[in-house]
Amino acid sequence: MKRIFLILILVSTQVNSIEEYDELTSQQRELYQQIIQEVRCLVCQNQSVGESNAELAKDLRTEILEQVKQGSSEDDIKSYLLTRYGDFVLYDPSFKKSTYLLWLSPVLLMILILGWLRKIGALGR
Amino acid sequence: MKRILPIVIFIGLFVFLAKSLFQPQTNIPSPLIGKPIPPFSLSELNSDTSLTDNDILGNISLINVWATWCVGCDQEHGFLVELAANQDIDIPIIGINWKDRDDLALRWLSKRGDPYTVVLSDPIGKTAIDFGVYGAPETFLIDEQGVIHYKHIGPLSREVFTINFMPIIKELRR
Repeated sequence: MKRIFLILILVSTQVNSIEEYDELTSQQRELYQQIIQEVRCLVCQNQSVGESNAELAKDLRTEILEQVKQGSSEDDIKSYLLTRYGDFVLYDPSFKKSTYLLWLSPVLLMILILGWLRKIGALGR
Repeated sequence: MKRILPIVIFIGLFVFLAKSLFQPQTNIPSPLIGKPIPPFSLSELNSDTSLTDNDILGNISLINVWATWCVGCDQEHGFLVELAANQDIDIPIIGINWKDRDDLALRWLSKRGDPYTVVLSDPIGKTAIDFGVYGAPETFLIDEQGVIHYKHIGPLSREVFTINFMPIIKELRR
């Protein structure tokens, strides 16, 4: 069992072209690794682009690598993906009008629960 | 009542979350609706002629992203051939052959019929990324200026076309 996990971990992060990856500075490598973990693979939705073997994920990794190499910033690359694939492509969607509910729902839920607990007198006085 | 309420809320939330967890989101809204098609330059299938986004404008048309390895494309092909032959609907279908080989694509078309006015070849899939494609087949409805009005993910069928595409096409032609 342990061995299986080890293998899974080892194959989980993939690099498309070793040579191209080697050409990156360590800062660029860090950025590349960070972005591919934060971008959702839309074909296999519970994996990131960094973990997935799907063709599209490979293409997106190549594209991200290319852009990192050309010196694009994190924001540039994310907005490149957002204009094409929409909010769904990022695991960490930006805070804006259409995602207010998504981000604020935990707080709202908390307030509701606190209010309810207070009403039934579970919070003491 | 007071005692049941939290249980009801819990079950409701549980069902909602469980459903969202196990139901993959298949129709992700495209941010490209209402925007012009991305610029591209692709060669025609088995040819050196390159076409750009400007070359395919001028008609209300469909852009169909397909490949010979794609199961859904196999399913929808019969309908595409039927649609292309339909004089009443009369809508050009532009094909983008995605991450495929020209020889395989040509064999597929000669064997099964060719519904496309033109097929562009995107072997590396760069244009497909610009179109926000994540799974073939995908079909875009564009107007004369190239603005995308609708995108369908998954195989087309007469039913899907009548319900989702026809009303928009009628509206655009008015």
